Amino acid sequence: MLQSNTFSRKTKAGRIKKEVREIYLRDDIYCGASACKTCLASTCRAPLDASSPLLILDTNVLLHQIDLLENPAIDNVVLLSVVLDEVKNKNMAHYNRIRALSTNPLRKFYVFSNQFHKETFVKRMDGETPNDYNDRAIRVATRWYQTHLGAATPVLLITNDRDNKRRASEEGISADTIQSYVKSLGQPELLDLLVHPAPESEDVTMEQIEDLRPSKKQVVYQEHKPMSEITLGLHRGIYHQGKLRVNRYNPFEAYVGSESIGDEIIIYGRQNMNRAFDGDIVAVELLPQDQWHEEKNLSIADEEDEEEDDVHLAPSSADDAPRTTNLVSGSATETNSTPSRHSGRIVGIIKRNWHSYCGSLEPMAMPAGTGSFTSALFVSKDRRIPKIRIQTRQLENLLDKRIIVAVDSWDRQSRYPSGHYVRVIGEIGDRDTESEVVLIENDINSRPFSAQVLACLPALPWSVSSEDVTNSIRLDLRSLCVFSVDPPGCKDIDDALHCTALPNGNYEVGVHIADVTNFVHPGTPLDDEASQRGTSVYLVERRIDMLPKPLTEDICSLRADVERLSFSVIWEMTPEAEIISTRFTKSVIKSCAALSYVEAQARMDDSRLMDPLTTDLRNMNALAKIMRQRRIDRGALTLASAEVKFQIDTETHDPLDIGMYQIREANQMVEEFMLAANVSVAKQIRDCFPSCSLLRRHPTPTREMLEPLLRTAAAVGLDLDVSSSKALADSLDRAVNILQRDDPYFNKLIRILATRCMTQAVYFCSGDLSPPEYHHYGLAAPLYTHFTSPIRRYADVIVHRLLAASLGIDKLPSVFQDRTQLTSIADNLNYRHRNAQMASRASVELHTIIYFRKRPTDTEARIVKIRSNGFIVFVPKYGIEGPVYLTTRGEKGSGEWYVDEQQQKIVKMDNSLSYSVLQTVRIHMEVVGPQPNRPKLQLTLIF
Amino acid sequence: MEYVSPEGLRLDGRRPMEMRQLRAEIGTVAKADGSAVFEMGNTKVIAAVYGPREVQNRSQQISDQALVRCEYSMANFSTGDRLRKPKGDRRSTEISLVIRQTMEACILTHLMPRSQIDIFVQVLQADGGTRSACINAATLALADAGIPMRDIVTSCSAGYLNSAPLLDLNYIEDSAGGPDVTVAILPKLDKVTLLQMDAKLPVDIFENVMGLAIEGCKAVSNYIKEVLLGNTKQLEYRRGL
Amino acid sequence: MVGLSVGEKHFIQGGIAQDLRSDGRKRLTYRPIYVETGVIPQAHGSARVRLGATDVIASVKAELGKPSALQSDKGKIAIYVDCSPTAAPVFEGRGGEELSTELSIALQRCLLGGKSGAGAGIDPSSLVVVEGKVCWDLYIDGLVISSDGNLLDALAAAIKAALSNTGIPKVDLAAETTGDEQPEVNISDEEFLQFDTSGIPVIVTLTRVGRHYIVDATSEEESQMSSAVSISVNRKGHICGLTKRGGAGLDPSIILDMISVAKHVSEQLTIKLDSEIAAAEASEEES
Repeated sequence: MLQSNTFSRKTKAGRIKKEVREIYLRDDIYCGASACKTCLASTCRAPLDASSPLLILDTNVLLHQIDLLENPAIDNVVLLSVVLDEVKNKNMAHYNRIRALSTNPLRKFYVFSNQFHKETFVKRMDGETPNDYNDRAIRVATRWYQTHLGAATPVLLITNDRDNKRRASEEGISADTIQSYVKSLGQPELLDLLVHPAPESEDVTMEQIEDLRPSKKQVVYQEHKPMSEITLGLHRGIYHQGKLRVNRYNPFEAYVGSESIGDEIIIYGRQNMNRAFDGDIVAVELLPQDQWHEEKNLSIADEEDEEEDDVHLAPSSADDAPRTTNLVSGSATETNSTPSRHSGRIVGIIKRNWHSYCGSLEPMAMPAGTGSFTSALFVSKDRRIPKIRIQTRQLENLLDKRIIVAVDSWDRQSRYPSGHYVRVIGEIGDRDTESEVVLIENDINSRPFSAQVLACLPALPWSVSSEDVTNSIRLDLRSLCVFSVDPPGCKDIDDALHCTALPNGNYEVGVHIADVTNFVHPGTPLDDEASQRGTSVYLVERRIDMLPKPLTEDICSLRADVERLSFSVIWEMTPEAEIISTRFTKSVIKSCAALSYVEAQARMDDSRLMDPLTTDLRNMNALAKIMRQRRIDRGALTLASAEVKFQIDTETHDPLDIGMYQIREANQMVEEFMLAANVSVAKQIRDCFPSCSLLRRHPTPTREMLEPLLRTAAAVGLDLDVSSSKALADSLDRAVNILQRDDPYFNKLIRILATRCMTQAVYFCSGDLSPPEYHHYGLAAPLYTHFTSPIRRYADVIVHRLLAASLGIDKLPSVFQDRTQLTSIADNLNYRHRNAQMASRASVELHTIIYFRKRPTDTEARIVKIRSNGFIVFVPKYGIEGPVYLTTRGEKGSGEWYVDEQQQKIVKMDNSLSYSVLQTVRIHMEVVGPQPNRPKLQLTLIF
Repeated sequence: MEYVSPEGLRLDGRRPMEMRQLRAEIGTVAKADGSAVFEMGNTKVIAAVYGPREVQNRSQQISDQALVRCEYSMANFSTGDRLRKPKGDRRSTEISLVIRQTMEACILTHLMPRSQIDIFVQVLQADGGTRSACINAATLALADAGIPMRDIVTSCSAGYLNSAPLLDLNYIEDSAGGPDVTVAILPKLDKVTLLQMDAKLPVDIFENVMGLAIEGCKAVSNYIKEVLLGNTKQLEYRRGL
Repeated sequence: MVGLSVGEKHFIQGGIAQDLRSDGRKRLTYRPIYVETGVIPQAHGSARVRLGATDVIASVKAELGKPSALQSDKGKIAIYVDCSPTAAPVFEGRGGEELSTELSIALQRCLLGGKSGAGAGIDPSSLVVVEGKVCWDLYIDGLVISSDGNLLDALAAAIKAALSNTGIPKVDLAAETTGDEQPEVNISDEEFLQFDTSGIPVIVTLTRVGRHYIVDATSEEESQMSSAVSISVNRKGHICGLTKRGGAGLDPSIILDMISVAKHVSEQLTIKLDSEIAAAEASEEES
């Protein structure tokens, strides 16, 4: 049966177009009830249970109550395709979650394509709004289910649309609101999961919720402009569109990168942010220029609940570091700051980025009665998120817990957004709970691998087969003396090396990388999972693998004395480390030793040892040193970060000791050859596939980004040349403390400060950028990629496939023909990579607190930034950074101290005492608990 | 964009292997020697055949076979956006050529030396698959004109979207940017006479998609045979046989 | 294109002289007229008209545009005719262009009152959305699929039917605009703007063959004509446009005579056409 659907549509260019679409109506769409005799549903999934009540949900229920629906208490649900389409248009994230429910074999959710069913198709009537049309289609489908399944199966339409509910009742359909349905189930904890609709909406609301709201309503925020006005404003250039990014370290300051201005717009204060969340796509109106600067002071003074900075891990790049807006510049230094930065206010939100957040409830007194709804404020771990008001019946239970809360609405009368409770993670302060928080916060999938994924693994015990050895694409390198050098206890060994002296005096140097793509094939569940995870995540006490353990620790791991498959890069090098030829091949190797860095170093240093392995090591090290020097001469930066290492108690998993990570020559040697292999591979794949290679680039930092470094350096009389990476590298080499000669740590400190000014390197698809943009600033390499760690990075897996295709070993998977998909893979890798790093850092911070809980310590620290009420210090020994206050909170800059911006100094009014940047101070570190269950590390100055 | 829902339905309610509704009518242009309208869903084309007749331009005459010519044109109103220069663009010229070559292959041209056969196809509505619809219409018009043919030619297209081969793409599916394989076959002889594809496709998938398109051609040929049979019966009836 | 023998020519001319034409019609009788509306769903309005073996399609597409500076309170309407080669091999390539242009201009003149737009069948000011800024532009496309004479009358009838079939979505302004900016518009919910087509004239073409004139000539008859006069007449009997084709001169008195005959014939044609359009619309609703 054929029907056609005609409608008018406005195109992007503003033209109005008539669209005609055919609709083929079918009689082979089944009801999905397992016991249904009429529908011969043997071939498709029929999860519904016709003996218990069937629920049909309206769009508003799906859109608002997704957390409730994910609870197994709600089941036996029919999802109409008309409803799903509407959800998809309004909220893609919810759509995906609902789709996941409908394919979950444990849940009874069934999608019924009502629009294409001959008996439930509804033709749009003249003058009918889309909403009315959808509601009518829902009612028609509900009625069909009622008659189709007969009286034995009650069918209930659940809708919070008052009008739809009324009409349904008139038409003899049983309908109910989600609230009263949930109440009827008699499970009070489900009520917490309910989202309470915003009061201004037309939907049916629960009366008791209304009562809890303050009767006197004050308008806190400005109204959002209607969408049509925003579109027009954007069109005319009055408003600017962009993604809001809230400063991680100062939630009252946010930035909107605007393409229309070509610059960032700063938004100061919650008023101007006007209910926008981090990640929302917003429309911004610029403030008049004379308000650009004033706003800043206002924002600080105005918000009484600004929290003080916590002690945190020292940032390792500009991505982790606090933004560079200068909080020091008080009113006295107006002229000094940069009033040219655009500031604005948000007039509307184009797309919300609401999801669920981890955190805890703000401590509060228990109300008298129990069991009734209480209003509580939720504080997210992520400081960029404002407090969220929730209603709960289980306050007592939740107060000392980490919980997840989702945001529902934020109306202009309330200071905070309102949300609802989703679930409990565990007790605050508990290490496992906090670790899970870290994972959830960073969107890291730590679930065990599914059966489908594990089914892709080869049978165990696995060993190299004779076919592998005789395969013509594989070179048999088992006779070579191949060895690996890794941190102690490393189980996922993905690289090994060899170095053989050739008769002509040259060396053959090989880098052998685990041949992961021999086991992970494109399009398999295993590959999809790895692509999603993107990278392994290393926390202090555990590792979350990208690939299942049998692969990472056994089949792929290039362990000693077993034959393993590998992908090799083999160079012929002169003793001067000039590469004469490069060869790529798949191979079979047998590692003769898995060394730790310490062992390798010891062997090289021990002049008595003359065995072949040690000789090879020494030769390699000699080559690596030349290569390293050449790289530095080319302008590669020797950057430094303050990485720390914990010693973990094997029993309790508590940290026993903490210290800086020591870098040895052996580390640098391995690193050098990995870099060289990556560079060689990058050239090869980029030559073969100029438009679809996956490369890694490191953007050149702008002068503005380096500004804080320059200001600090200038304060200590150091002149840094940042005109190129070479110039910067040279001036870093020359950096010594002029004021204080015997300061061995000074150079490293400057390097650490330089590192944190730069952004991180990112993956990209070569077709998306032009060759000059491929440049890797930090390594001073025109082309770079990741090839050497396929066990723990998905980027390397992709690069392995590209390299194999470039050699004609394998054909190129079809993904590479789709550039948009490739770009989205690269974006995901960057996202996962960054999250993995954030998670590692958070994990270290967590363990730092646990460590210092029992060990108050006095130590040396360096001042890295001056603030109006004190300064920020960096503690080299523990790699952490945090504020030290000279004045008590609440009396900022009350006159006792003043800041000398030029000299980067904070000086006592009577000039008796002063602290300047980079100065060494002694501090006391102690974990204090100003609030129960919320321990924090406090730094105080020892005079 | 989701072109096939997880329930296995396309945007217009078809399943991946289903064709749109076909409709054909013979003898719509009274003055022509043979004519037909062919519809595949919302795609609607009209074909008229003039000839065999004297060659109009003597220099083009071929001494041992008939001259077959073809012109494809689209009505201004045939697309969603109104066309502004309807005639003689490169795309039209190319399709004209494709149709001519395809039809020439099945006409027994050696039986009609020094004569000319004109095939004109006019697209009234374009909703994907116009090439196929034009070839199907031209087959019917040639049959209506009584021009001797080896076999009828039928055509159908198939594409590949959301990792599923789809038969007979409509305009929205066609503009998704995926591959579109157009095939024409001589059903009785079981030969492929036209094969075109844009975009890229791995070979093994291409094989599936082409197989699907061929199945579509066979379905079209069954329908065309039915229409021709019905038409012949009607002619018989009118003659009082 | 019509190759006629001398005998055939005499037969046609003789039939006309005796008021019994070769297909059995009288001189002032039209062939049966068939109207079908909504044939092109993608257009805002469309109709197919068949007059014997003459078969034409007219479609109306509306696009948002900007009124011209001189007539800021009026929308624009344009008529384009295309002769498909399916109708006759001579239209192949650019062969139909001359005829197409001639027909387009004649229709523009007879239905829309030429360049000035005065006396147009539909009121162009009903197309204005915002004066001086936004208006609807109507593109009327005629396509000749099969031709057996009297294309102009058939096209005019098809255009009239297509316009009665036309529904344009109602639009409203998205937001207030100031100054010279082009305002944004939104589609309001599926409501349609329809035209009053009662004022659209019909065209009656009188073809002079020998000493007589006939209506609705077939292509054989047209091949014998000396000249033709097309007169558009609206429901009220007013003459809205007139165009003379063919080389031979006509006596002014004969022209006046022809006009009065055309006016008379148009009354029947209008009634017939209106009822056909109504029937076509009704059957379209049903399907």
